Amino acid sequence: MSDTTVTHGWEHQDKPRVQQSELLEINMGPQHPATHGVLRLLVKTDGEIVQSVTPYLGYLHRCAEKIAEGCDWRQWMVYTDRFDYLAPMNMNFGYAVAVENMLEVEVPERAQYIRVICAELQRIASHLIAIGTFGLDMGAWTPLLYCFREREEILNIFERLSGGRMLYNYFDIGGVRFDAYDDFAEEVLFMVHVMEQKIVEYNTLLTYNKIFIERTADVGVIDAETCYAYGCTGPVLRGAGVPFDCRRDDPYSIYDRFEFEIPYGQGEQGTVGDCWDRYIVRMREMSESCRIIRQAVDGMPEGDFMSPDLKKLVKVPAGSLYTRTESSKGEIGFHIIADGGSKPFRNKVRSPSYSNLHVIEKVGPGMMISDLVATVGSLDIVLGEIDR
Amino acid sequence: MEPNAIHDLLCAKLGEAALEYVDSYEKGTVIAAAKIAEAATLLRDEPELHFEQLMCLSGVDWDGHDAEGKGKSVAILGYTEEGKPELSDRVGDGDLGVFYACYSHRHGHKYSLFVRVPRDAAEVPTVSHLWPTAAWHEREAYDLVGITFTGHPDLRRILLEDGWEGHPLRKDYQMPAQWQGVPLEGRSYAANPFNEADVVLPTKPEGGQG
Repeated sequence: MSDTTVTHGWEHQDKPRVQQSELLEINMGPQHPATHGVLRLLVKTDGEIVQSVTPYLGYLHRCAEKIAEGCDWRQWMVYTDRFDYLAPMNMNFGYAVAVENMLEVEVPERAQYIRVICAELQRIASHLIAIGTFGLDMGAWTPLLYCFREREEILNIFERLSGGRMLYNYFDIGGVRFDAYDDFAEEVLFMVHVMEQKIVEYNTLLTYNKIFIERTADVGVIDAETCYAYGCTGPVLRGAGVPFDCRRDDPYSIYDRFEFEIPYGQGEQGTVGDCWDRYIVRMREMSESCRIIRQAVDGMPEGDFMSPDLKKLVKVPAGSLYTRTESSKGEIGFHIIADGGSKPFRNKVRSPSYSNLHVIEKVGPGMMISDLVATVGSLDIVLGEIDR
Repeated sequence: MEPNAIHDLLCAKLGEAALEYVDSYEKGTVIAAAKIAEAATLLRDEPELHFEQLMCLSGVDWDGHDAEGKGKSVAILGYTEEGKPELSDRVGDGDLGVFYACYSHRHGHKYSLFVRVPRDAAEVPTVSHLWPTAAWHEREAYDLVGITFTGHPDLRRILLEDGWEGHPLRKDYQMPAQWQGVPLEGRSYAANPFNEADVVLPTKPEGGQG
């Protein structure tokens, strides 16, 4: 067939037609497995190359900030659970610390230690989901199942502690709602022991897998300047090579008593701030969380789990305060304005995923569609806290 | 730098636009609304301040607050013995406000800016060209509180539907009776107190296998 004359159909034209593709608008979401929730990304593409990304939010909006005006200070704790439903303990922690800072109430030692253990266990559980689903986005099914297996063990501990498997409502202003059960310390230590072994297993399964590195290294690079400008925090900021962590740099609760490292991206497989760096930061943070938990279990005293001098109906003195804590996704901030009454005047939530997702508008253009999926996966967003 | 030193610096550079020093839980300066972009530029670009990150930007409806910061949380003064709300008569005349919380990674210090604008002319210049993260926070403040940010590149609703009426975080917000043909039962919590007798438990179906 090689000698057959091919007619293109444009021979009658003076100029050969330039091959030109048109911009195509694709909806990624609202129902799409790679958007990690009910998020719609309007993607304009030129062939495989992304020209612009516009996120559309609000599918999970529940007006939690308006509801706060009708609840008393304690009642609103249950809504913080529903922000980041993969890390409710961290959300509870942020709100409890924010209100306690304004009340200037002393939280009993035992409650402080239980809180730290819960928050760090929750951080591991949340990172397990982040890693598992990120692997799933990259086509690795198996690690997800292993991650869920370990997360299940953590949820079992939380279930014995609080009665809930997903939304705990466990922290309270001035302490925690229930005391730890008798063999809590043993169960947590066993969990940590298992977890430390499993991290090695994940590394062999996923971290240094050739295909996984090819898909994530040098992809979706977010540098430190962009992180500052777009307000990115947590593993996204640390992945960009900035060892910043509220637990160490703006200490709250009793985090100044523990020894732990802040892992940050160093560009081991490519550029600093690529998807692999954000992934490995989460992986190493799990080991550091295990370290913190071991120290916290060692130091946990007996005593009250709830501040005895706090009245049932909390009244916060008038004033305004922005308090931030480190959740598994980044900096969760509560800007609280009180008017001296028993209800919040204004509770504004600055959620980490909100700012972390915003950066996709900046880094998205110019990458391949498949890399966009990788980048969104590596940001580890939860739509519950974006839409609130 | 210490907060009051930052305030002195702002006063020196901005003159009368730096209105007053806030020394509460939060340390900060109240800035005249028209000059907020200049103040933000100073905070970001002055080498000894260098606030490269905007942590939080929130819109506030100060309605019901008097000068001492005392007031009622909602448009309700209190409740009668039957649990019926007693409505405040001074709802809908307070100022709106914007709060900016900044953090410097280089120096490790924090500072806040406050802006108050009258309710009927709620316009604040944008700071999204300085801190791009403000773009979404300002859209949120526009959406929920109804503050217009002049110079914003893309000011539209972010969490609510484009055609939604009103701004829910205003204290005098009235929930629409229906949305696109769907009736909304906008009743306040206090008007519907929990009553155990109202709870209907599911019953076991007769003759079924459940």
